[in-house]
Amino acid sequence: MKEVHSDSLLSVRSITKAFSANKVLKGIDLDLNRGDVLALIGGNGAGKSTLMKIIMGIYQQDEGDIFMSGELINMSKPSIALAHGIYLVPQEPMLFPNMNVLENIVMGFKENPKTLQKRLKDLMKQLEWVIDLNRKAESLSIAEQQLVEILRGLLRNSNILILDEPTSSLTFNEVKSLFKIVEDLKQKGIGIIYITHRLTEVFTIANRVAIMSDGLITLSGPVENFDYDMLVRGLLPDEVTMAEHSTENKSKPVDYANAKPVFEVKNLCGNGFHDISLSVYAGEILGLAGVVGAGRTELATSIFGQDELLSGSVSIDGVDITGLNTRDVMDKGLSYVPEDRFLHGIFGISDVATNTTSSKLRNMSKFFIQYKQEQEITAQYVKLFRTKVTGHDQLMSSLSGGNQQKVVIARALATEPKVLILDEPTRGIDAGARGDVYAIIQELKSKGIAILLISSDFEEIVELSDRALSMFSGKINREFSKNEITQDNLMAAAFGVTKGRVVNA
Amino acid sequence: MHKQRSIPRATTSIIFLVLMFLGVGLINPAFLDINNILLSLNSGVVFTIVAIGIAFVIITGEIDVSVGATVGMTAAICGNFVRDGHPFLGLSIAVLVGVGIGVINGFGVAYMKIPSIIMTLGTNGIIRGMIYVYTGGRWIENLPMEFKSLSQAQFMGTFTWFYLLTLIAMILIYVVMNRTMIGRYFRAVGDNANGATLLGIPVKGTKMVAFMLSGLFASIGGIMYTSRVGFITPIAGMGYEMKVIAACVLGGISLSGGVGSVIGASVGAAIMASISRILVFLGFPSDYDNTITGILLIIIVVFDSVIQHRSAEKMRKQRLAAKVVHSETASEVREHA
Repeated sequence: MKEVHSDSLLSVRSITKAFSANKVLKGIDLDLNRGDVLALIGGNGAGKSTLMKIIMGIYQQDEGDIFMSGELINMSKPSIALAHGIYLVPQEPMLFPNMNVLENIVMGFKENPKTLQKRLKDLMKQLEWVIDLNRKAESLSIAEQQLVEILRGLLRNSNILILDEPTSSLTFNEVKSLFKIVEDLKQKGIGIIYITHRLTEVFTIANRVAIMSDGLITLSGPVENFDYDMLVRGLLPDEVTMAEHSTENKSKPVDYANAKPVFEVKNLCGNGFHDISLSVYAGEILGLAGVVGAGRTELATSIFGQDELLSGSVSIDGVDITGLNTRDVMDKGLSYVPEDRFLHGIFGISDVATNTTSSKLRNMSKFFIQYKQEQEITAQYVKLFRTKVTGHDQLMSSLSGGNQQKVVIARALATEPKVLILDEPTRGIDAGARGDVYAIIQELKSKGIAILLISSDFEEIVELSDRALSMFSGKINREFSKNEITQDNLMAAAFGVTKGRVVNA
Repeated sequence: MHKQRSIPRATTSIIFLVLMFLGVGLINPAFLDINNILLSLNSGVVFTIVAIGIAFVIITGEIDVSVGATVGMTAAICGNFVRDGHPFLGLSIAVLVGVGIGVINGFGVAYMKIPSIIMTLGTNGIIRGMIYVYTGGRWIENLPMEFKSLSQAQFMGTFTWFYLLTLIAMILIYVVMNRTMIGRYFRAVGDNANGATLLGIPVKGTKMVAFMLSGLFASIGGIMYTSRVGFITPIAGMGYEMKVIAACVLGGISLSGGVGSVIGASVGAAIMASISRILVFLGFPSDYDNTITGILLIIIVVFDSVIQHRSAEKMRKQRLAAKVVHSETASEVREHA
């Protein structure tokens, strides 16, 4: 264990945390000094949020200690963290929408409201921030909400501020003013943990960097010791940093010469994505790489008729399906396997057969559901996918994650689609089942289905895709031909770095 | 950004109440007699006090459908002891039982994570059953005159002391809820429980207190009921839960929590109580009373949820749009680079 210095604001030592069998943090050491801006970067699921929640007292660590100024603290609840001057500005601001700005800021304080208001006015004057204290929080823009969150933190005389992807929903000018504030706070000796997905910000704002990957801090040090390439490499899993092409794509190449795209998206705009154009050919897997929040899922669900499209067009085999409702989109030959299995994917207390055929109920019921047909379709997919079930009447919720996912894919296929959108098809399932799902995807490809594979697991994209696109902040920022698809390239593009040049200043 | 000031929902309810009185007055001018108006308000005193209590629970985003049974149970206890000549003991036990029911509800909802509609539906059934056990299914009658006349004691014409006490309670609670930090916890918890947790606000404790207050006020309502009605049947207080929930919603308290005040709840209760009288003045049979209450409740709840949904949807779109706008400015930067 590293020694704990009494002059460091915050030191965490050997923190581990597991959720049931899933080890999320595997021994984290981290130090924050006065006036530090520590950039914490890492992919989705690296454990950043869990670590921050432990520091905030929302979760309790399994092992390890948290020290503040050298003193051991038992962070058993958020009020203890707050009392020690730690304040977390969450990624999505957590305001009280029905209260006004003033009420939002002073909520939870025990001091006299008059002196509190005076302190607030002084603080705002000092920061040169103007915001109407009587406005209702729900009328504020996201940037304004974030300012309110930061004011809350500062008014508590916090000496440690945790900013969780503060710029992810800010406009360019708002980012500039936020950076000015961070610079100010740094001068005042406040320690800041700055979580971000935008590598350029690291060099603009931070003086120290820590890279998290798979529950460990893989690299850390002063920002001068890093460049873009090092950051990108630090984000990749260990094995890959050595060789660029570690995972091999064994699938048959697509013959583009005679092929016509089955699925075409032209200049599509919607809530959370802008000007998306892509096409998928029959028997092709098009990978769409991007971190969570890049707008990938919004794109898929909007095409699937779950949200409105603002402009642009979507077509299957030349037939326009733009803006149709979900039922019609499915009838025209598109199926979608959703990202969150538990939220949108499964009917947990129904059996396997019901789940498999739930997507084509309309086609197989005259008035009563055709029991025989239901069983046949189920049997076909259980066999094809080697799904481990005790019977067609086994409850969906009692299957393992991998087998649930197989049933969900079977359900999507039961409508015999021409185009299949898979959104994070292997999230949260074990390695064995992952192999099975990959085999299924390859088999669908060989059957001539056009597949759009959305994933933040770049290894998966490398292994499966014939072509790939990367999505960053709601737009497609790069296309990759098959031999360009490497984890390095995908990672760089998904974090906004394109060809050494930087997307975001 | 434009400045936004909305009228408090309680104000809208007061206007509605006044218009309702004026409207009925047009058809039957006798309704606008000052004595009649005060009688209308007085007849709603039990609703008002119970509505003030349940308002705490609804503002924290939960619901309590056991208040009607609590009114019945505490009325039975109070009536029983008063009849046997122990009025103070009776009042104390009634209040303790009311708070006790609140503790059980609060424990189930806040700590055991039972959905409040289920938890309180369960306690509602239990208490209703226990009323029969306690009273043996018999009416409690022959209460001493002095106790019954308490509810008739008046000052300033027909304005009863009970109503004055209720008004004082309402104003005190309004001040506590809006001018003290602790009072604001209720709205904070109902508005955004996760956000409240992050600020170190005791979410569970706040919910617990809300249910205890709901039970406390229901028991005061039960005591007032005993004095006003003068006899207790095993079905006393039946259906009060719907009336007081409707009263809160009418008074601008949102069922999704975080919005509203006890003043709104009181105005809503006055509207609810007036409806019964209005039916009489308009020549309808009072059988329509519950039906109209139910219809009003549904209309307002639908209206409320449409508004809530719209604003949530607007926020979501704005949030997503902000992400894309950013990348537009970012790509301009790249072109200049």
